[in-house]
Amino acid sequence: MIEDDEYYGRIKVLGWCMIFVVAVLIARAGHLQVYDGEKYAKLADGNRIRIIPTMAPRGTFYDRFGTPLVVNRPGFTVSLLPLIAPVSEDVIIKLANLLKIKPEEIHKKIDAHVGFDPIRIKTDVTQDIVTILEEQKDSYPGVVIEVQPARNYILKEEGAHAFGYVSEISDEELERRKSEGYKSGDIIGKFGLEKIYDAYLRGEGGGEQVEVDVSGKPVEILGRKEPIPGADLYLTIDKSLQEATEQAVDAQLAAINAHAAAAVVMNPQTGEVLALVSRPAFDPNLFVGGISSKNWNVINSNPYHPMDNKAITGEYPPGSTFKIVTGTAALAEGRVTPEEKILDVGHHWLIPKGNAGGEALGWINFLEAMAHSDNVYFYEMGNRLGIDLLEKNSRIFGLGEKTGIDLPYESEGLVASRAYKEKVFEEEWYLAETFDAAIGQGFNLVTPLQAAMVMGEIAANGKRYKPHLVNKIASQDGKTIKVFEPELLGELPYAKSIIQLVQAGLHEVTKYGTAAGVFAGFPVEIAGKTGTAENPHGRDHGWFVAYGPFDNPNVVVAVVVEQGGYGSQSAVPIGRKILEAAFHIVPPQPAAQKAAQ
Amino acid sequence: MSVNKRFLRRIDFTLIGATALIVIMSLIIIGSATHVNTPGEERYWFVQRQGMFALINAGLVFFLMNFDYKLLQRYGNKLYVFNLVMLLAVMLFGHTALGAQRWIAIGPIHIQPSEFSKLIMIVSLAGILEPRIGKLNNLKDLAPVALYVAVPFLLVLKQPDLGTSLVFIAIFLGMVFVSGINLKMLFGLFAAGTALLPVMWQFLKEYQKNRIMVFIDPNVDPLGAGYHIIQSKIAIGSGMVFGKGLFEGTQSQLNFLPENHTDFIFAVVGEELGFVGAAFLLVLYLVVLWRGVEIAKGASDMFGRLLAVGITSMLGFHVLVNVGMTMGIMPVTGIPLPLMSYGVSSLTTNIMAVAVLLNINLKRQKLVF
Repeated sequence: MIEDDEYYGRIKVLGWCMIFVVAVLIARAGHLQVYDGEKYAKLADGNRIRIIPTMAPRGTFYDRFGTPLVVNRPGFTVSLLPLIAPVSEDVIIKLANLLKIKPEEIHKKIDAHVGFDPIRIKTDVTQDIVTILEEQKDSYPGVVIEVQPARNYILKEEGAHAFGYVSEISDEELERRKSEGYKSGDIIGKFGLEKIYDAYLRGEGGGEQVEVDVSGKPVEILGRKEPIPGADLYLTIDKSLQEATEQAVDAQLAAINAHAAAAVVMNPQTGEVLALVSRPAFDPNLFVGGISSKNWNVINSNPYHPMDNKAITGEYPPGSTFKIVTGTAALAEGRVTPEEKILDVGHHWLIPKGNAGGEALGWINFLEAMAHSDNVYFYEMGNRLGIDLLEKNSRIFGLGEKTGIDLPYESEGLVASRAYKEKVFEEEWYLAETFDAAIGQGFNLVTPLQAAMVMGEIAANGKRYKPHLVNKIASQDGKTIKVFEPELLGELPYAKSIIQLVQAGLHEVTKYGTAAGVFAGFPVEIAGKTGTAENPHGRDHGWFVAYGPFDNPNVVVAVVVEQGGYGSQSAVPIGRKILEAAFHIVPPQPAAQKAAQ
Repeated sequence: MSVNKRFLRRIDFTLIGATALIVIMSLIIIGSATHVNTPGEERYWFVQRQGMFALINAGLVFFLMNFDYKLLQRYGNKLYVFNLVMLLAVMLFGHTALGAQRWIAIGPIHIQPSEFSKLIMIVSLAGILEPRIGKLNNLKDLAPVALYVAVPFLLVLKQPDLGTSLVFIAIFLGMVFVSGINLKMLFGLFAAGTALLPVMWQFLKEYQKNRIMVFIDPNVDPLGAGYHIIQSKIAIGSGMVFGKGLFEGTQSQLNFLPENHTDFIFAVVGEELGFVGAAFLLVLYLVVLWRGVEIAKGASDMFGRLLAVGITSMLGFHVLVNVGMTMGIMPVTGIPLPLMSYGVSSLTTNIMAVAVLLNINLKRQKLVF
């Protein structure tokens, strides 16, 4: 042993500390088990502690001006507390009568239940039933009312693809997200903004911890926790513009007997999405509290896929709207000057491909070619650029990758390239395919959102802002949690003069070009581009992209009508109506209506 | 023969006996806590696994008897670096469980480096404290030592593992106390630490704040952590004097108690074995701690003494915080009950700690009879 030094005594102090620690613990055990033992034994034995959860109300969606879009309504669920003793048959029969269900159904739910959280018998019961149960509490031992606010999509199908829907968490989701605090029976966002912002929206559940006796009657409330409501989303959506867009799309689909379409309206200077429509749509209210198999079958058997958000998931050949990319690339890469004229004799001299209907426009320059969407001119641009430069410039515009919008299931689209063809078809590239790519046919695929982004980049003098649907997240008491500022994703590396030329070309489109008819007399200066995308499975898809006002654009629109035929006839009228709404233009009344008055 | 006899006499059978009894109790209680909720064939999987590692460790202890703990001082700094690497590995490749990143997987075994890091910390800290004994008179003396502990401490805190980082503080305090730290300075540190609490509060994760709030008032979160404490207290209290009998605890068996084979295992002891069983277990811990203190007193050198003090501080703090938590007199910080809680990393660390104590005792120079 080492010599007793001056600190030897301190080890003894340590020893006393240890004795003290154990003594305190034994004393505490004695207090709990001997002194208070009876009390706890009673709690553990005949009496049980149960938790009656209170669901937090989900955050509300507001439009950009503060108008509510998605709200909650009060909801009540009748539940049974799981007890050690079986629930008496009398109570089950009485409850079955009150809820107008069969007693067997209640039995089935009791048998299927594991754990100690309440057994949900019937969700979303009426206020009358709640009142009866509250008043006659004593004759319904073990029956409790859970407060479960239910989602209310007040606009029904409108905006459904952007807002999304909620439903009970699935077993598989639960397994994956347990560590984030999700519990069985939780309501979770499954689609749209509800899914992306679920963590903010769901809030935190509360409830009561009650001591109940053998029959399930609450004896004492041991603890209570108020739920914390979920945070509210302040969207970039403009409700009136959203409604106008929905109506414009619906009216046109009915008029031309088409079934599917999508439209995106954005502010190109910020990336804010002002309206987003996809057709056919669905009513998210059907999913609240679980969708019935009948309703699900209706949705599922619709051949036009109502659950797809075509504005961001639908991939279409861009058709002539792609000439924006080809044209910009040809100017930027020095393959053509704005003055150079190209002879259109109805078809290209290398490969017999030409304009629809074999139309020949003669000697035309860049602006005329853009205005009339001349295929021969742009075939030649493709020919001069080659597929590699075309691919490079497509990617500069952001095509072939997700835009990063705050919605789930966004598609990437596809940029035609040698690598893609090599990979998928194991074949080399042909010149004819460059021609196709130059006018947006062939392999190229874009989503309506990507089409809007390309047009938006031209509108914003080359700036590409990240598209987003939420401006601000704030708690229910108004405290700001997160603000989404415009996020600049990139800038087109082209000279300003080149972008201005393209802008001018697109302006001509509504002046004397392919959209001039529909936009005749339109009071705001608009730049646009029509497109008709060949569809091997049926009629062509019609496209229209546009922005305005021309001098200081704050609205960009992209519309696609699946199997709508010519863009100028299917998509342009929708685009016009959207722009009318965006710029608060009262449309001139049709003659027939005037006559009726 | 006489050498052998002397060797045998120096083996601390009291410590071995108390440790073995705790481990045996642990296996029985883990069995009771887990067999209901584990499906059929794997009913005793937890017990088998824990038992297997207990045996492997017992074998290791046997070998370590021939090893001289004094060699550890030479490796102190290397072990320290190894410790940091391990903790960094957790941060980079760790598995996340319940909001904390604590595990790394090596084959089928999940290792929790923060468990081993406590013992490594004790060894390396003893190494640098030994030459400083009696020379810890001002902040300048203490600063290098504090910094030495602070680095792994912060890494563990970052995981986040509040419980283990507090264990680091307990080890540090126990060891510098015995190294003769100026008492005025020690109290000064306490005062400063208390003053800094509000600042540290800012660095805690939401759930950690919550746990501490719950400790102050269980009704803050009656459905979460508060529920655990209340259920644990009910389990222990309802065991009364003699307990409900093994495998008979309704609270534990019916899943009212969360984590009942790991952090809340003491509640199962209290419920099923009553005050008698709980007190018996606590007395066993007292025996282990008392032997730790005695071995510290009798160590042949200061390094050994510091090791023994560090180990005793670590074990004592674990027992206090864990058992205190299950009885509602300590906050829920998620540190295991040594030698009792299920967990291979924790079991191995604690058996190794006992092995070091045994080894120090073997090398003592005078028999204390």
